[in-house]
Amino acid sequence: MTRSPHDWRLFLLPMAALASSAHAADYLTVAQAQVLLFPAAKDFADQTLKFDDAQRNRIKAAAGVRQRTAEQKVWRAERDGQLLGWFIVDEVIGKHEFITYAMAISPDGHVLGVEILSYRETHGGQVRDASWRKHFAGKTLADRFKLDEDVPNISGATLSCRNVMDGVKRLLVVHKLFLAKA
Amino acid sequence: MRELRRMRPLLGTFVEVGARGLNPAKALDAAFDCIVEAQARWSFQDPDSELSRLNARPGQAVPVHRQTVRVLRLAGALMHGSGGLFDCTVGGALVSQGVLPDHGGPPPLARGDASDIETGHRWARLRRPVRVTLDGIAKGLAVDAAIMALRKTGAQAGWVNAGGDLRVWGDMALPLHRREADGRLTPLGALRGAAVASSRAQSPGAAPDPCFPGRLVAPPGRPPQPGVWTVMARTAWRADALTKVAACATPVDREKLVAMLGGFLLGGQAHAMPSA
Repeated sequence: MTRSPHDWRLFLLPMAALASSAHAADYLTVAQAQVLLFPAAKDFADQTLKFDDAQRNRIKAAAGVRQRTAEQKVWRAERDGQLLGWFIVDEVIGKHEFITYAMAISPDGHVLGVEILSYRETHGGQVRDASWRKHFAGKTLADRFKLDEDVPNISGATLSCRNVMDGVKRLLVVHKLFLAKA
Repeated sequence: MRELRRMRPLLGTFVEVGARGLNPAKALDAAFDCIVEAQARWSFQDPDSELSRLNARPGQAVPVHRQTVRVLRLAGALMHGSGGLFDCTVGGALVSQGVLPDHGGPPPLARGDASDIETGHRWARLRRPVRVTLDGIAKGLAVDAAIMALRKTGAQAGWVNAGGDLRVWGDMALPLHRREADGRLTPLGALRGAAVASSRAQSPGAAPDPCFPGRLVAPPGRPPQPGVWTVMARTAWRADALTKVAACATPVDREKLVAMLGGFLLGGQAHAMPSA
């Protein structure tokens, strides 16, 4: 063993067997995420959307990804009757993960923020070495959002992070088709 | 004392931040703000980042944030110290392979050397048309900046994990385990007051692995040793960068070189992850 200026054992403490090998975490409840993403809002009015097959096909055609569920949980964030934006809860399934996330969209269709609510790996975690990409804030449907251009496939996002991004794109389409004029 | 943690999709991965203190929510906000700023400055993908503006104008002094000056100086020093095993001037090669996007500017050299990057007080200049990519160091530095930011809010302890680039600070220990090549998990211990990072090097010509999309560019004639390389260091930027050195070093030099540059190689070709 090469001598090092540090005794690295000081930084890696002995540990008994691990309780669990899988990574699972609940970060925020829906109510906590609402306050975090719309701190100025006083009311969150439930406006859950229900889609028929034709509507789901329209979403898929515009977003390029399937609307898996016939129901989408949506809330109107309001303050004194004024619309501040839309709060949407969605779920994506990665190769090994179930990810529930919340997204805030401004009335004019910009992403205000994305927060992970819960993250569950189905059989343990894998360290991800992903490269950079633009973050979601400020994205609209007018922006480039094609994975191969915006996030090069090889150096870009990880599989499950890509699924969240596809979800964000799909929810922007849902906003445009069903919420923008509501 | 309260403890909180949150996760957001940032830096092309999931970034988890945890903090303990009287106002952990404030600490988390400060830490995430830092990561968002780092992404806006150092993203190769974003044509409007400081890095892209620098890459587009070789020969010109480009005004940049002092943190950008810092990351360029650290990258240059490590390039020099590792004899080019760590190399942040390989953006041109990655652009020509189609791995990274081309935002315009003069046709780039495939790679350069440490002397191609010149920095001053809040400015930087590329002496030749190289394309700098900070992928091997900036995620770690973003983690360090986020740790600093949560400390400044008065938090007692915390951690930041950007897709495996992990740093723990204060009176807190985070259990780590390592995934072996056969998928088994080996407990490594609990990380305290230090950082770990992992990079995967693939065999030349291997199909891209969507779970490990990073691509290492080794010096000519020195293909990276395939495997997942995990390094511990006091700071995340150093751990991050030294994984690239570990992947490209010869087996004889590997451990010694990583130690000389301030890191500690953790158990060869396997990788560690927090098991919080």
